[in-house]
Amino acid sequence: MSAISELSTVHRVKAKTPEEKRLRAKEAARDNKAGYLFLLPWLIGLVLIVAGPLIASLYLSFTNYNLLQAPQWIGLENYARMLDDPRLLQSLKVTFIYVIVGVPLQLIVALAIAMLLNEGMKGLAFYRSVFYLPSMLGASVAIALIWRQMFESDGLVNQVLRLFGIPATTSWIADPKYALSTIILLHIWTFGSPMVIFLAGLRQIPGMYYEAASVDGASHWAQFRKITLPLLSPIIFFNLVLQIINAFQAFTQAFVVSNGTGGPSDSTLFYTLYLYQRGFGQFQMGYAAAMAWLLVVIIAAFTAINFFFSKYWVFYGD
Amino acid sequence: MAINRRQFLIGAGGLAAAASTIGLSACAPGAPSGSGGGGASGGGTNLALAWWGNPTRNKNTEAEIQAFQQANPNITLAGQPGDFAGYWDKLATQTAGGQAPDIIQMDMAYIAEYGNRGALLDLEKDGADTSKFIEGTVDSGRINGQLVGVNAGINSAVIVANPKIFEKAKMDLPDDKTWTWDQLSDVAAEVASKAGVPFGLVYLFGGDPMFGAYLRQNGKELFTEKDVGFEPADAQAWFDLMMKFQKAGGIGTPQQISEEGSPGGGKGIDQSAIVLGKAALQYQNSNQLEALNAASGESLKLLRAPSLAGKATERKAWYKASMLWSASAKTKNPEAAVAWINWFANTKEAVDIDKAERGIPPNAELQEYIRPKLSPAQQEVAKFIVDIKPELASTPIAPPPGGGKLAEIMFRYESDVLFGKASTAEAAQKFVDEVKSNLQV
Repeated sequence: MSAISELSTVHRVKAKTPEEKRLRAKEAARDNKAGYLFLLPWLIGLVLIVAGPLIASLYLSFTNYNLLQAPQWIGLENYARMLDDPRLLQSLKVTFIYVIVGVPLQLIVALAIAMLLNEGMKGLAFYRSVFYLPSMLGASVAIALIWRQMFESDGLVNQVLRLFGIPATTSWIADPKYALSTIILLHIWTFGSPMVIFLAGLRQIPGMYYEAASVDGASHWAQFRKITLPLLSPIIFFNLVLQIINAFQAFTQAFVVSNGTGGPSDSTLFYTLYLYQRGFGQFQMGYAAAMAWLLVVIIAAFTAINFFFSKYWVFYGD
Repeated sequence: MAINRRQFLIGAGGLAAAASTIGLSACAPGAPSGSGGGGASGGGTNLALAWWGNPTRNKNTEAEIQAFQQANPNITLAGQPGDFAGYWDKLATQTAGGQAPDIIQMDMAYIAEYGNRGALLDLEKDGADTSKFIEGTVDSGRINGQLVGVNAGINSAVIVANPKIFEKAKMDLPDDKTWTWDQLSDVAAEVASKAGVPFGLVYLFGGDPMFGAYLRQNGKELFTEKDVGFEPADAQAWFDLMMKFQKAGGIGTPQQISEEGSPGGGKGIDQSAIVLGKAALQYQNSNQLEALNAASGESLKLLRAPSLAGKATERKAWYKASMLWSASAKTKNPEAAVAWINWFANTKEAVDIDKAERGIPPNAELQEYIRPKLSPAQQEVAKFIVDIKPELASTPIAPPPGGGKLAEIMFRYESDVLFGKASTAEAAQKFVDEVKSNLQV
């Protein structure tokens, strides 16, 4: 950015006569044209794939749209109806539990594994890949299917428990008490991408800090609290913000594990799943669009809160 | 507040991630009324044909497409098979995007949804021929006076029994002409404990046809023209009945019921409890007997739904269109779509392949023609369909738009009751409220 502003200053200084100015303008226009040309693929993508649907969805949220007929304008009715929708409340509850329990646990696991890997063991690249693997697969249909099979009453988990003499017959996915926990577990298991980012962050902390601390007699725990955490805090913050946003939009796992119902008994009715049911199952795309905008507001609020509190704990060493 | 570059990047990343949610709900309204699933190419006409099914039906339909193309060399059909649970989401999405398949296998639960909103072709206008159909099998496909679906086969809601499990329990198959709902509960509990299977009976309470049968015997219906046809008290009686079955030990534990899910709720019938030997009795539609036998390797038996009075003649049975053939209103080739429907409904070639897998043919002549050619299981189904004629009452109307999800909603509230999260009275009230609120939109 600074390079560009320098250039323009140079131009401004040089262009003195009106003729020179015109010439400059011409040149700039030509440069701009090329610039826009290079920008075009991104711009087209933005307009068609992001901005277009975004505006369409905002418009639809004020309409009654059943997918098959043209949308009818109904003003704020969709938003008003949301206030009186028990399943919407349930889906918010499920999603908040998922985010508030799942994200911190996932980050703790990611950080713990990253610190283990940072010990400079042999075959680091191999282990890093192995631990990263689940997060490439985690949101996939195949893994969710396997998860379902594992946690069924006759699934692998219970079979292993039985090997150890525990007479396990609980279906971890078919009981409203456990179903959400099973999906949170799946979420925690996909700790790979925050782990890789943590690992990169840990690598940047100069080893001399730890050496100095050891010489001063600081315990491992003290070193972790006083050196690792503060120096890693921007990375933790980054992971926290992104993972919260991702977790709010969790869909595939719940969809596959509950066969798209959000069951048993709505215990895994994630917000996006409910949105999908409304839109594509019940042909209420207007309502679904309104729900999507509520989710945007919620995510924005969470992100804003995160940024607000970040100044109390995030330490930018630079 | 000063924002440094790093903070800005995090925020921008977040915005980009959030934007993808919006994308989920954003479907361009009034999408281009373009191709209804593939236009003409080369010299012939291309049509897309979508159906849901099971392995048997998939094989049949592929063979039917081949035979139809041989008889109509200028028409090419591209099959889009699917399973029931995912079929409707896909169809809704395709239709909204102006990409609906030209020929659509339709279900009674959704025909009003699409038909009432102008998404389906008026088949009679393009020459659909139902002149040889037996009485009461055409009008189920009529919405607002237009024929938008042609019955693809007759079936009836039944209880399928596995005789081997009854043998193991040293019990006779029950007499389905005289049994009551209470007796069904007793039989289910007894066979479950004596044969040592998790389910004496499965799926009964998760499917709307059995709830419909129960309501009709009580003088109610699932739906009236524009409304729900029953009161919360009726739903409560049904939920109470379920709890009675459950406490007697006939339908498994709440967890087992929940794990098995509702019929059509995700598990294909080849993974259903009776196929895996985990159930003695299972609610099903009669046309599925062949597929169940093929998947289980057993010869399962058909039983009637019970009655309140213990008399089969008072059980208010009905012929259901197992499925219908519809065509997209936006198809570019209505004649070709109707040609398939007529071919399927009225030719020996078609019925030679399909036999009775989609249900007993509604065409009276073909029904006669095919009966001797049917497999033993299908002959049993055909006999059953003829046998229950004296037990028939009026044909229920198609659910009004928004009513297609009744079974799913019902099963959810039943789970609430089973897991003790709601009393039967609370669940019944909420169930009726939710179905009603879906109809109003």
